[in-house]
Amino acid sequence: MEQESESQRDGVWAQPYGLGSGETQFHELGHVQLWVTMLDMEWQVRVRNLEAEGDPFSWIERVGHVLPGQDVPLQRFIRSSDDGGQLTFLPAVADRPTVIRPFQPLTIPAGQRCLIYVGTLIWMKICVGPERRVLTEVPLSTPLQTWVGRNTMEGELCYSSSTVARLVLEAVPKRPWRAVTPVTLINRGTGPLLLERFSLPTPLLSLHLNERGQLWTPGVTVECETDMNAASLRVDAKLSPAAGTCRKVAEARESLSRGRLVRAFDRIFG
Amino acid sequence: MLNDIEQGLTGVLAGIPWAQWFSSLFLLVMGLILGSIAARSVGRLMAERTSRHHTVMVRRLVFYVVVTVFVVAAMREVGFSLDVLLGAAGILTVAIGFASQTSASNMISGLFLLVEKPFEIGDFIEVDATIGEVVGIDMLSVKLRTPDNLYVRIPNETLIKTQVVNRSRFPIRRLDLVIGIAYAEDIEAVSALLLEVAEREPLCLEEPRPFIQVTGFGPSSVDMQFSCWVARENLLEGRSRLMISAKRALDEAGIEIPYPHTSVYAGSHSEPFRVQLLAPESPNNKKDASDVEQDS
Repeated sequence: MEQESESQRDGVWAQPYGLGSGETQFHELGHVQLWVTMLDMEWQVRVRNLEAEGDPFSWIERVGHVLPGQDVPLQRFIRSSDDGGQLTFLPAVADRPTVIRPFQPLTIPAGQRCLIYVGTLIWMKICVGPERRVLTEVPLSTPLQTWVGRNTMEGELCYSSSTVARLVLEAVPKRPWRAVTPVTLINRGTGPLLLERFSLPTPLLSLHLNERGQLWTPGVTVECETDMNAASLRVDAKLSPAAGTCRKVAEARESLSRGRLVRAFDRIFG
Repeated sequence: MLNDIEQGLTGVLAGIPWAQWFSSLFLLVMGLILGSIAARSVGRLMAERTSRHHTVMVRRLVFYVVVTVFVVAAMREVGFSLDVLLGAAGILTVAIGFASQTSASNMISGLFLLVEKPFEIGDFIEVDATIGEVVGIDMLSVKLRTPDNLYVRIPNETLIKTQVVNRSRFPIRRLDLVIGIAYAEDIEAVSALLLEVAEREPLCLEEPRPFIQVTGFGPSSVDMQFSCWVARENLLEGRSRLMISAKRALDEAGIEIPYPHTSVYAGSHSEPFRVQLLAPESPNNKKDASDVEQDS
C-alpha cells in the first residue's frame, strides 16, 4: 500500500502512459474514480461516480494491482496486439450546449460589451495505442440537464453548468476537469440587455492545454442586435492571451455549420 | 372425336402469343426486382438524413410507382388497352365499393393520417387502452408493439375516430408523483426537502423548474403533487429513481408517509368502548374455541 502511494502522481491530459500486463492505473479526477486494467487480451475499465459534493482540484493517478469491489461496474474491450500497452487520456467538450448563469442576473447597458469567464464540465476519453483509439468516454462529474426554449414544445436539452460565470478570470475555479471559455457579450441594441442565463454551444469548441495544465477553449463572441433572437454567435479563431502558451488537445465535436448556428441563435438566451 | 379436341387444343395453344406473355411476365418480375432495389437504395440514402417515418413512406412510394409503371408496360405488351381497363375499373369500383366499405374507409382514413401526421414510426402512442410503439403505418392499419411485446393492429378508421395520445411528440415530459404526508408534518419543510431531492437527481431537469402543490386533505394524509420534468427517454427510470430518493429522504428526515387508517370516535356522549385484553393463544385456548364452534 505504501508502495502505491509512492508511485502516486498528478495526472496529465494527452500524455501517453505505459502499462504492463496485469497492471491497473487508478485515477481520481473531478467526481469520478477510474480504474483501467490491461490484460493480455483485453482492457478493463471500471468507473465509480462519487457524490457530487465539494470541488476537488487535484488529479490523483497511480499504477498498481489493486482493484475496486464488485459493486463498481466493469466494461471490457478487446485488445489489439499493436497498442503496446499505451494509454492516453484525452479531454472532450460536452456533446450538448451548456447553460451558464452569472451569480446574480447581470445587465449590459446599450452599446456596452462585457467579458465573462465560464468553466464547463469536460468528458474524459480513454484512448489506447499510438493511434489513440477511443475505448469509452466518461463525464468527470454527473452532468445536470436543463431545457432551453421558448416553451416546453420547442427547444433543446442542454447541460447545466454547476459553476457560475465570472467577470474576473482569477475568480474562475481552475480545475483539470473543467475548461475555461471567455465569452464576450456585445449589446448593440438600444435598450439594456439582462443576462440571466446563456447557452454556450460547447460542442463547437476545441480544447487547448496550457503549460499550467489548464484547459482552455477559444473565446466566443455574442453580438445582440435589437432583440435577443437576432443575436449572432462567433467562435474566435485564436485563444485568449490569458490562456498562455497552449497546445491543441482535442478538436470540437461538431464543426460550425450554418444551420446549426441559426438554431443556436434562437436559443442563446433561452 | 378425340382428334378434333386435340386439334382444337393445339389450335388454341398455337394461337396464344407465347412470346408476348413471356415478355410481359419478364417485365413484371423485372418491375418487382427493380422496384425493390430502387426502394432500398432510396431508403438507404434517406435513412441518414430524415426520420424513419419519412424513409418508410418514400421507400414504399418509390416501390409502388416503379411496380405500377412495369405492370402497365406488361399489360400493353400482352395487348390490353389501358382505356378499356380503366373503364372496366370504373364499373367495378361501384360494385367493389359497396362490398368493401370498411377497407375503403380505412384507406381514406390512412390518407388523412398521412396528411395530418399525428404520429410517426417509432413514436409511443396510446389508443383507447393500448399503449405501444408505432412499428408500421400501412394502407389499412397501424401496427403497434406494446411494451410487453405484443403486436397490435389498429384499423386506420379507429385512429381517426378516437382520441390518440402521442407520448413521444415533445422531447421533455412532466412526471407527477403523488405523495401523502401525515397531518402532523410541516408541509413547507417537506416541500423544501422534496425540491432538494429533485435538484440532486441528475435525470430531473433544472428548467422547467420542479414544483410542489398541495392537492388536498385526504382521509389519512395531506396529499401533495411533486412534479418535475425529465427527458422523454428517461421517464420510467426517472419516476422510479425519484420515488426511491423521495422515500429515502422522507425516511431519513423522520417524516411519515401514512398508509390509510381510520380513527373510530364514539362521540362525547357515548360510553367509551369496552376493551378486553385476552391471554395469548395457547393450544388449550384453541381447543376450547373449537369446542365452542362445534357446540354452536
